[in-house]
Amino acid sequence: MTPALEATGLHKRYRRRLLGRAGTDALSGVDLAVAPGTAFGLIGPNGAGKTTFIKCLLGIAWPDRGTVRLLGRSPQEPAVRARVGYLPERLHLPGAWRPPAFLRAVARLKGLAPGASELREMLARVGLLDVAERRIGGFSKGMRQRLALAAALLGRPELLVLDEPTDGVDPLGRMEVRRLLEAELARGTTLFVNSHLLSETERLCQRIGILSGGRLLREGPLEALCRAEAWWEVRFAPGAPAAALVAAGFRPAGEGTFRLDAEDAAAVNAALDRARAAGALLVGLARASRTLEDVLTDALRSRA
Amino acid sequence: MRTWHVAADLVREAAARRWFLGLALALTLLLLGLVGGLRLEVVDGALAATRLFGRSLFTPIRPADVALRPVFVAASYLTFYGGMAFGLLACSDFAPALLSPGRIEQLLALPVRRWELLAGTFLGVLVLGVAGALYGAVGLVVILGFKTGAWTWHPLLAALLASVGFATVYAGMLAAAVFVRSAPLSAAVGGLLLLSGILAGNRRVLLATMSEGAGRWLFAGWTRIMPPLSRLADTAADVAAGAAVVPAELGTLVSECVLFSAGALALAVWRFEQRDF
Repeated sequence: MTPALEATGLHKRYRRRLLGRAGTDALSGVDLAVAPGTAFGLIGPNGAGKTTFIKCLLGIAWPDRGTVRLLGRSPQEPAVRARVGYLPERLHLPGAWRPPAFLRAVARLKGLAPGASELREMLARVGLLDVAERRIGGFSKGMRQRLALAAALLGRPELLVLDEPTDGVDPLGRMEVRRLLEAELARGTTLFVNSHLLSETERLCQRIGILSGGRLLREGPLEALCRAEAWWEVRFAPGAPAAALVAAGFRPAGEGTFRLDAEDAAAVNAALDRARAAGALLVGLARASRTLEDVLTDALRSRA
Repeated sequence: MRTWHVAADLVREAAARRWFLGLALALTLLLLGLVGGLRLEVVDGALAATRLFGRSLFTPIRPADVALRPVFVAASYLTFYGGMAFGLLACSDFAPALLSPGRIEQLLALPVRRWELLAGTFLGVLVLGVAGALYGAVGLVVILGFKTGAWTWHPLLAALLASVGFATVYAGMLAAAVFVRSAPLSAAVGGLLLLSGILAGNRRVLLATMSEGAGRWLFAGWTRIMPPLSRLADTAADVAAGAAVVPAELGTLVSECVLFSAGALALAVWRFEQRDF
């Protein structure tokens, strides 16, 4: 199956010609493929190269080396970009215009001719119908963000590239945006999300990539990244024989909990059988998993 | 087609700006002032008396079409230089705004080619220039036509020539903005081009007064590539007055301006195609 988005050996160096200063490597050989109909989250610290990567994907910046394919074709082809929706990190919207006029202008450049009802429907989807007659200049950051998202969604794109989609949006609005993106995902749209909000990324994306210093440090399914270590958190009823538990392979983890290193369910049950034989009563068992924050921190530490 | 959409969006954006609303209002008030305040008495096709807001203006009795010529000449110069000065200020930030962070990324991600964005911006400004010049010229021709019975289309042609002059300068401003995104710099380049165009139009006269040397050589070279704007303004004034204009000379003048515009636009597109945003 052709990936919705594919980057191979992507290099980008920003040159500084003035004062003889050295340039900056924004991307140093990034390889990435995102399958159609999936949600991919790109995370990383500030200056990691995330926005540059997106710009190279969409032909906004020119990579020095490497290739990019969007929906199997070059992003330089306007016909391909017509099938892509993009929400940039920074927004500059025409302040004197009203939302329908702005959406109509974007639609025209996408080769669409939506009617007034379609535009109102789109504004309703992003929660801006009530302010449709207000000038954009008076909008809050979150409202602008929603409007730009509406523009990105015009024409039912096959691929949505979103750079910080919930930046400036209030918590309730974030939930609405997430629902909207989930609906797009259910429709078969591929999502490529770049976000600082790890919890948002975690909830929405099936695959995650960690970019730092222009390199892709980790990439894979969210579950696999967060379950890199096979251990379990086990809680026993008060009065469990600690020495016997340690002998059975459990390590005290404080406040009545123990940690058990076990590769699979059979190994877990064997250890639990030994604990129960020693008189311990099991009251809680959970597979330990790391948060995306842990994964990111580990990845950045290992790079350092 | 998308070039036209970009141009139409620019015109819509301009319609919401105070500069352009102010210009439209000022032109309308001026024309309404002429409608209400100008009294022209025409007897047998000759302008016998002129009153402006009740004050009698001394004018010799002449055929109306002859009497109106200085008015059209003055209007032509005003449209050419006044319109250009206004355009330099009011249009200087269209290209920098197009290239502003957050806007250009969104535009470049749309199915629009880079050159179409620049061509659309140029076309939009050209439409604004032509519309502004024609609005004033048509208004003046219609008002004076009704008041005197002397109808002429020459001032309209002069207004179009003024638009050619402005388009030439704006092409340079657009190219400057693509290299350095700055409205003041764009306006300054426009001012420099206007000044250079005035010098280029008087090139022969000025060169004749200069002694040989590097300065003269530089001046000759610079004014050779600059559009001869002052000659275009003079020709536009001649056209407005209905004076005989040699078509070949007019064609050469317009061609020089079009060539300069094409060169500036080609440079802008070349740079724009290479740039990262």
